[in-house]
Amino acid sequence: MSGMQRSAEQGSGADDSARQRAGIVERIVVRPTLPRTFLAMLRDTWREFLDAKVLYLLLLAIAILFGIALTGRIEPQPGGRQYLDIAARAMAADLDGIDIATQSVEDVAGRLNGSLYAITSAEPVDDDLPGGRWRVTMTRNFVPLVGQPESDEEISGRFGRIADGEMWKVAEIRETGSAWARKIGAQTWEMTVAPGRDLRLLWPHRFTLFADGVDLAGTKGAPLGLEVLILQKLLATGLGGTILLLVSVVVTAAFVPNMVRKGTLELLLVRPIPRWQLLVFKYVGALLLVAALLGILVGVVWLITGVIADVWSPGVLLALPSLLVFFALLLSVSVLTGVVTRSVISAMLVTVAYWAILFIAGQMNNVAVESRIREANVGKVRPTSIAERIRGRQPQRVEPLKPGRKPFYRTTLGMITEGVYAGLPHTEDLDNLVDRQLMRDFAVAGPFRALMESAEFSWERGLGLTLLHTVAYLAIACTIFSRRDP
Amino acid sequence: MVVSVKQLEKQYGANRALGGVSLDVEPATLFGLLGQNGAGKTTLIKILLGLVAPSAGTASLLGRPVGTFSARREVGYLPEDHRLPEYHTSTSLLDLYGALQGIPRRDRRRRAAELLDMLGLAGREKLRIRGYSKGMKQRLGLAQALLHGPRVLFLDEPTDGVDPVGRKEIRDLLLEERRRGVTVFINSHLLGEVEQLCDRVAILRKGKLMVTGTVSDLTRQKGSWIVGFDRDMPASFGFPGATFEPTETPGRIRVGFEATDAVAAGSAAEADSKEKEAIDRFLEAAGAFGLRVRHLERERATLEDLYLAIAEGGGMP
Repeated sequence: MSGMQRSAEQGSGADDSARQRAGIVERIVVRPTLPRTFLAMLRDTWREFLDAKVLYLLLLAIAILFGIALTGRIEPQPGGRQYLDIAARAMAADLDGIDIATQSVEDVAGRLNGSLYAITSAEPVDDDLPGGRWRVTMTRNFVPLVGQPESDEEISGRFGRIADGEMWKVAEIRETGSAWARKIGAQTWEMTVAPGRDLRLLWPHRFTLFADGVDLAGTKGAPLGLEVLILQKLLATGLGGTILLLVSVVVTAAFVPNMVRKGTLELLLVRPIPRWQLLVFKYVGALLLVAALLGILVGVVWLITGVIADVWSPGVLLALPSLLVFFALLLSVSVLTGVVTRSVISAMLVTVAYWAILFIAGQMNNVAVESRIREANVGKVRPTSIAERIRGRQPQRVEPLKPGRKPFYRTTLGMITEGVYAGLPHTEDLDNLVDRQLMRDFAVAGPFRALMESAEFSWERGLGLTLLHTVAYLAIACTIFSRRDP
Repeated sequence: MVVSVKQLEKQYGANRALGGVSLDVEPATLFGLLGQNGAGKTTLIKILLGLVAPSAGTASLLGRPVGTFSARREVGYLPEDHRLPEYHTSTSLLDLYGALQGIPRRDRRRRAAELLDMLGLAGREKLRIRGYSKGMKQRLGLAQALLHGPRVLFLDEPTDGVDPVGRKEIRDLLLEERRRGVTVFINSHLLGEVEQLCDRVAILRKGKLMVTGTVSDLTRQKGSWIVGFDRDMPASFGFPGATFEPTETPGRIRVGFEATDAVAAGSAAEADSKEKEAIDRFLEAAGAFGLRVRHLERERATLEDLYLAIAEGGGMP
């Protein structure tokens, strides 16, 4: 609608004398439009949001967390030799297209090519650090007639490459073994190798805070990828995300009860707009604001790990949609509680309790899933991922439970857990999605074994169920809000 | 009719808030709605605003069924004990309500500035409502009701918490609105103010409409006078057709004559002159008896008398 129309007409029921008495009424005849209503509610929500003092505490807490993280120093430790050995041994199998974070050594057993490779000597050209080059002697043993001698080009093409990953690059290569040795199945090469793009993530690094004051990874260090993953998890989906969502729950819990308060509600309900718009736009407005805060949080986490570790893989940015969808669910619970009880405290408590139930049920469900997997694998060798094997973890056989003990999923508590979890939105899986992406980015699986082994993990179902619950809670809230007398 | 209500009923559970109210209000009227707490005033207004659905009966506003968006575009409302969101400033709040009302940005800014100026709130645009006094909140509440130029205003206690000068300003503002053709509903417990301001009043009691009419009709003469003489009136003095009763003030008595019905007398002016004749004759007789007049006052039934009679007894006095 363009501009304002003025009208001097009187109501259809007005009689002539009243019209004369009344003179001319300047009236504003305009209709609300959806964008105008939406923008107005958004600005209203924005004001209310900024009015909350606790928001500034949140920003302070996150700033402190980031400040601490920024004192972090990550320094590589010597350790190149083990990665040369791994690169040589891995050439015994065809590893094209496998995922070293998730697939086990046993998975690739069928891919063995009948040759054995070993590093017999290795000397760093410069320092024993992730950027340094090495002078290496490598031998290959194979069965003559079954296997063929390999050319320098073939070795250059395969050495240091596992799946899509690149640990090493061959800079120079020269076969030094005798022709006689070659005939009986032994080849030797002198090579100069340079680090590949993925070597750094596997390389052991020390991680200290407060200028070496606090040592987080021990003197031998841990793989850089693992350190970055834990840091990103802690700051984005872990502590940082939890604090931010908790504060957002506290701030937004007041929105609906304040709106439906007697004396305030009437001023909104008399407007010529449907009631559901008030509620839904307030909801969307709050969601957009929290999205902005989450965007800042996740973006800054990405920047911080980039700055202190020089790792810029964008997997952590997935935490934004994951946390936002989770918050959308919490906010819908808060809105529904706010509409029903009109109490800020109730909205806050019910939302936090709902969150706690989701968390506890999710954790217990993980235990149940793990117990199922464990039972299915009794007697088998528990898979160990290649990345773990690289770090020296040995495969273990899964022992049966002691006689008389039932696996958790078959206990009463386990059955209740699985039953309750089935009725909840599987928000765990949204978090798992982020974790899995981080694991892929940084080629680590260790702390997330259960997740990797869980056949039931499906982020699509988690997303679908979460959105379904969110929409359902909102719809109930809108229905109650539209029908109730103020 | 601006408002037309027929046999309106509202039941809240076991509680009957309105029990068959019928009412018609003409345009450009200042209409006072009176009654005790719980009499059904607010329920009636909420039904007219479309906030509450009636249990039975019909109500229309400007010829449209109540609650429709076209009807709601024409009304301004100031609720009782309204609580304006405290995180807003005057301008941001009017901007919000204006936008929800559908007013384009430039127009609502201009209109908000005019209203804030008119209501004495100019110069405080940066102050959050949290820091407002009760009177300021009340003025801002009025501003939001007037923002979109409504044709019907529903004001619940519009001068609540406002100082006497502010009250006068608000009364003038409402008179001006009426002059411009706006119909104003006022819910108030300040009977003096309603009497001073309103053209018509209705009194509700326990969900029923007890009486409705113009203020001058309802507060007609009582046919009694307060008279003070230089000394106590001797018991021996008498006057045919007059009754005497003592008042709260020593030395003054209430002299009652049978009120002359305007219809029986032919006209209100004739009834008035008949009554004046009666008091003149009474005073002449008193003078002849040696009594000197020190005080004379004609008694009118105030709205308060009427209201209290209805509230206590349930009928016309």
